Amino acid sequence: MLAGALSGCGQQAQPPKEAPKEAPKEAPKPEVIKIGHAVALTGDASIWGQSESNALKMWVEKINKQGGVNGKQIQLVAYDTRADSVEAVNVVKRMIEQDKVVAIIGAAQSGVTIAMTSVTEPAKVPVIATTATNPAVTVKDGQLKPFTFRVCFIDPFQGTVAAQFASTKLNAKKAAILYDVGSDYSSWLGQYFTEAFEKMGGKVVAKEAFRSGELDYRAMLGKIKKENPDVIFIPTAQKEAALAMKQARDLGFKGTFLGGDNWGSPDIVTLGGKAVEGQYFVNLASMDDPDIQGFIKEYKEKYNAEPVLPNPVMAVDCLIALVEAIKKAGTEGPAIAKALEGTADLQVLTGKLTIDPKTHNPLNKPAIIQQIKDGKFVFAEKYVTK
Amino acid sequence: MLQTVVTGLAIGGIYALMAVGYSLVFSILNFSNFAHGTVIMLGAYAGYFVLTLAKAPFPVAIVGSIISGAVIAVANEGLAYRPLRIRNAKPLYFMISAMGVSILLENLVYATIGAHFYSYPHVFEMENVVIGEASIGILDLFALVFSTVAILALHLFLQHTRSGIAIRACSYDMTVASIFGAKLDRVIGLVFLLAGGLAALSGVFLGMKYMVYPTMGWITNKAYVAAVIGGLGSLPGAVIGGVLLGLLETFVSTYISSTIRDVFSFSMLVIFLLVLPTGLLGRNVEEKI
Repeated sequence: MLAGALSGCGQQAQPPKEAPKEAPKEAPKPEVIKIGHAVALTGDASIWGQSESNALKMWVEKINKQGGVNGKQIQLVAYDTRADSVEAVNVVKRMIEQDKVVAIIGAAQSGVTIAMTSVTEPAKVPVIATTATNPAVTVKDGQLKPFTFRVCFIDPFQGTVAAQFASTKLNAKKAAILYDVGSDYSSWLGQYFTEAFEKMGGKVVAKEAFRSGELDYRAMLGKIKKENPDVIFIPTAQKEAALAMKQARDLGFKGTFLGGDNWGSPDIVTLGGKAVEGQYFVNLASMDDPDIQGFIKEYKEKYNAEPVLPNPVMAVDCLIALVEAIKKAGTEGPAIAKALEGTADLQVLTGKLTIDPKTHNPLNKPAIIQQIKDGKFVFAEKYVTK
Repeated sequence: MLQTVVTGLAIGGIYALMAVGYSLVFSILNFSNFAHGTVIMLGAYAGYFVLTLAKAPFPVAIVGSIISGAVIAVANEGLAYRPLRIRNAKPLYFMISAMGVSILLENLVYATIGAHFYSYPHVFEMENVVIGEASIGILDLFALVFSTVAILALHLFLQHTRSGIAIRACSYDMTVASIFGAKLDRVIGLVFLLAGGLAALSGVFLGMKYMVYPTMGWITNKAYVAAVIGGLGSLPGAVIGGVLLGLLETFVSTYISSTIRDVFSFSMLVIFLLVLPTGLLGRNVEEKI
């Protein structure tokens, strides 16, 4: 159904003419539904953030053209978090207190989203995270956060997928981990990988940490290389990963590299060059996915650039789920949260979305393993959560 | 051990190059030019675009980058500092203005070029030169040699030319120097020209060693530390401070842990400010900020 709506948008000439005719009638009533968007528009994570922001704008425009939600137009209130926790808390406060948003989409980073929930939970404003994969985003110390949701898989699953792949497909016996001690995402993903890998009979021979924004990894890689691992798992963003891989190759490391969903930016190829060729990573969405071809085409036509996956797709998934909840439950926070909790078999861009009421995580979310081949991300394997 | 020294020198050479440009401005205008890092970043972009878009050979890219860095630094001085200078503003206001310029330009890059990371094309073969038991990348070796040459050339310029003497005179006392005939605007313009050129050059090396991205200028924090260690405003001090810092960091990363490397670097800054505020080779800086 959505695919139909997407391809229909190819004829852009007519609908806009109709929309303004109707708009003036409704314009006197300033009835809009404000949805917040906490997104990194500047800073190192902005490559995804900007793409995410573009995709949401495009989709909101589309919903509004089709008459909005419950007869009201959607207005996106987007503020820059710079992927910084403190900044995110500030913008979320502004969204809730000044702009009176009914719900918030974002953030993409686990640490940032966890910080945001300290404000959104007491305020009873629902939050749907796009790619925040740490378990503590929705459940903290066994306590479910009633107003926090997400549409992406979680890190224990991602770490297990990576470990299984390393063990069964790459036949790795010894693995090393190079992780960012300043990032919840990175350090926990490293931990989940270790647990799963050792359960499968492998051995993690070296674990080296660095601080966010590090440029030189030679000291840590030197120590790793001495242990002679088959695989180096680098659960970090693309910038760190590409630099580390380059330097590891300079030092003469011949094994395989493996990464998490944060690798999924074309930058990893421009930065890493030959060093990243043939390496594998877990991802949330793939450009090859037939379900999202319509979206990619539409995005390309509108912005003359390719979407930087997975964030734009995940953000649209959030929006679709949110709009569906608002349609059912209206604009009160607790009612929206209740409706989100009951999301089942909802058609979103990446497939069918069902939210687990016990954890607020999606069920049956597939993870994709991609390989970098000739500078492109190529589908290699698919895993589904149980 | 030898490998650690070699790696430390390679990083230290770039720190020194950054610290020299920073110290140069400090020696004349007595303030921390926080826009220095931004010029480094823009210089790295300039070099990258000359190489990739204009498809020019590498030496042209270096020259192009140095020219752009110099032009940007001089423009920065003219637009953001000169009006303050005319009004005899305190160094604090220069620093605030510098921070403003730095944030403005960084965000301008985000808005125009975007947040993509760029990697320099391979100019040098990815081969290593072996010295005893240690090996050094050809790029690192080139950067080290070229940095040394650039710093030596600057030193000779300051010692043996009329303009150089004017700069040195101004760094001791601007008022007295101007009474003796130094044209202040020209001297200050020249200082920014030199500092901008050096900044852009270190930007190209950083870009080649790592990559090019809008926030790369933040690495100048290290140049500030190096300048304090060596003695604020002293050029030989900046070189020594840069090399020492590079060595210290590499040793900490290798033998302790890279996660606490910056703890060491910035503790060093605090210790020097408390115990030896003039650094290793500095002059009295009591009234400077």
